Amino acid sequence: METYLQAEALAKHFDGVAAVEDVSFVIHTKEIFGLLGPNGAGKTTTIRMLSTILAPDSGDVRIGGHSAVREGDEVRKRIGVCPQELALYPELSAFDNLVFFGRMNGLPGRAAKARARALLAETGLDDRGGEAVKKYSGGMKRRVNIAIALMNRPKLLFLDEPTVGIDPQSRNKIFETVLGLRDEGTTVLYTTHYMEEADRLCDRIGIMDRGRIIAVGTPAELKRQVGDPGKTTLEEVFLRLTGRSLRD
Amino acid sequence: MRIFWRDRFSLTFALIFPLVFAGAFTLAWEEDDEPPGVAPRLTVVAAGQQGFPEHLVAALNDSGWTADERSLEGALDALGQGDIGGFLLFPAGFGTAIPTGSEARIRVVVSGKDPAETATLEGIARALAGRAQTVMLAVRGARDLATVPDAEQVSAVSRLPPLVSLEVRRTGERRYNPIDFTLPGYLTMFVFFVAALGAGSIVLERETRTLERLVSSGVRAASILAGKFLVAAGKGITQLAVLWMVGVFALSIDLGASPGAVVVVSLLFALASAAFGIMLAAMVNTMRSASSIAMLASLTLAPLGGCWWPLFIAPDWLQAIGRLTPHAWANDAFNRLMVFGASASDVVPNMLTLVAFAVVFGAIALVRFRLSPPT
Repeated sequence: METYLQAEALAKHFDGVAAVEDVSFVIHTKEIFGLLGPNGAGKTTTIRMLSTILAPDSGDVRIGGHSAVREGDEVRKRIGVCPQELALYPELSAFDNLVFFGRMNGLPGRAAKARARALLAETGLDDRGGEAVKKYSGGMKRRVNIAIALMNRPKLLFLDEPTVGIDPQSRNKIFETVLGLRDEGTTVLYTTHYMEEADRLCDRIGIMDRGRIIAVGTPAELKRQVGDPGKTTLEEVFLRLTGRSLRD
Repeated sequence: MRIFWRDRFSLTFALIFPLVFAGAFTLAWEEDDEPPGVAPRLTVVAAGQQGFPEHLVAALNDSGWTADERSLEGALDALGQGDIGGFLLFPAGFGTAIPTGSEARIRVVVSGKDPAETATLEGIARALAGRAQTVMLAVRGARDLATVPDAEQVSAVSRLPPLVSLEVRRTGERRYNPIDFTLPGYLTMFVFFVAALGAGSIVLERETRTLERLVSSGVRAASILAGKFLVAAGKGITQLAVLWMVGVFALSIDLGASPGAVVVVSLLFALASAAFGIMLAAMVNTMRSASSIAMLASLTLAPLGGCWWPLFIAPDWLQAIGRLTPHAWANDAFNRLMVFGASASDVVPNMLTLVAFAVVFGAIALVRFRLSPPT
């Protein structure tokens, strides 16, 4: 398998507190890699370093053969980022949001509009694409949030908890979109708190806790670590590895 | 900018509120009725002299003054009680000295409490002395030619008025349009207000990670900062353009002798305000604190900077404090240009100071600006 992303000993501290410490893992091309962990485990900080938003204190990331630390521009051409926040302009329509971020990605005006129309159709928003996003339901906003990350046809897509607070229909639509992207050749890094979601979607999973990667493997491999893969759930694996204490 | 145009409340706040405030306060500055024409009074002590002093008094009355003749004792008494600030004294013999070409003196007696009144009396005395000098030269010339003028001829020469011409602007008299200083005041207040409140939307973008998303799209942080500054400045310039046009075409505002300078000062103030908004966004962590500080700063700096009343009527200490605000420099420039007829060169210091404000605010913003919320 070809490696598309390689994180090497990533570390990040905030005010002397380690948010991420010695994180190393690889993501293969055309793979959906799940990054799981309790609140405060360092998942979002890791994604922000991988996507060049945050510079690591030490370590490096290579994406598509380019260093995220030294070749940020080259890396940014290859990635799409969907943060867990709804990072869009609620007063603008979905179409305008998509065109705006497409233009920021360097797409010419006509190409940005064509790509926006295609993505609205793919995400089931084509009939309401002209309405202001603030009038949308939570699920529709989440779909726009993902569509924005796809405007530049990324080779690697970061999805940070893309299904928080939405109805089953929208969640299912997002699953279909993610699986379709993988089938078309896109590599995906996916974080979520929903274990059944990770079990269904992810080819491999990395579990983070207290800023470190504590386990990596396919869902079946992880389940085998704690019991019979046929009878063990991913949630049981997760609780066994990260403990049952609250992380508020 | 598209979001700004689509937001009706923003448009109302940015464009309608300043006009409403300026209109309301213009009405407050105006008087209901034209005040009766009260001529400025001038106390004269001529000791009932005939001839030239008599003509001078008549000429003063013809020039719009009310020459109030008093005895010397009466004038001194009024001066002592503070009823008058000074008077002109034509000493005994003044009336006979002029026709004969002899030396004569006009005395100015002042309390010295009011420098403006002292200067006025001195100016009038010099003008009268100048005219008397002309008469005396004519008399001496005639005498040198052995032609002794008679009283009628002297009187005719001395009656070559106007001896003194004077224009007086009095508070309450409708010689100016109050909108000339109310509109610039509220315009600067609301341009700054909108720019400062814009900090909140930048902080919101930081909180929702929209700024991070732009960076991950390949946009440089410096470009984001420059874009935010240009949008904020663009809003301010739009406000200024619309409000000045309404002022000129609908409210008959007078931009003065240098309308170009008014435009330049307006642009510089919009830039300084935009830089303040970006600086505020760079310095606060939450949208709530951005909005609170923007509100507080705008409502504090506006009166200090002469937005609610012209600073030139404010006490010296308030004017001194006002100099710490960009509003004061802009309003001072607008007042000079539009009310006092100054030229562009007179307000160059104001322009440079506004540039300095923009540079300082912008430099702080550049150093402190963050794309991500605090962790």
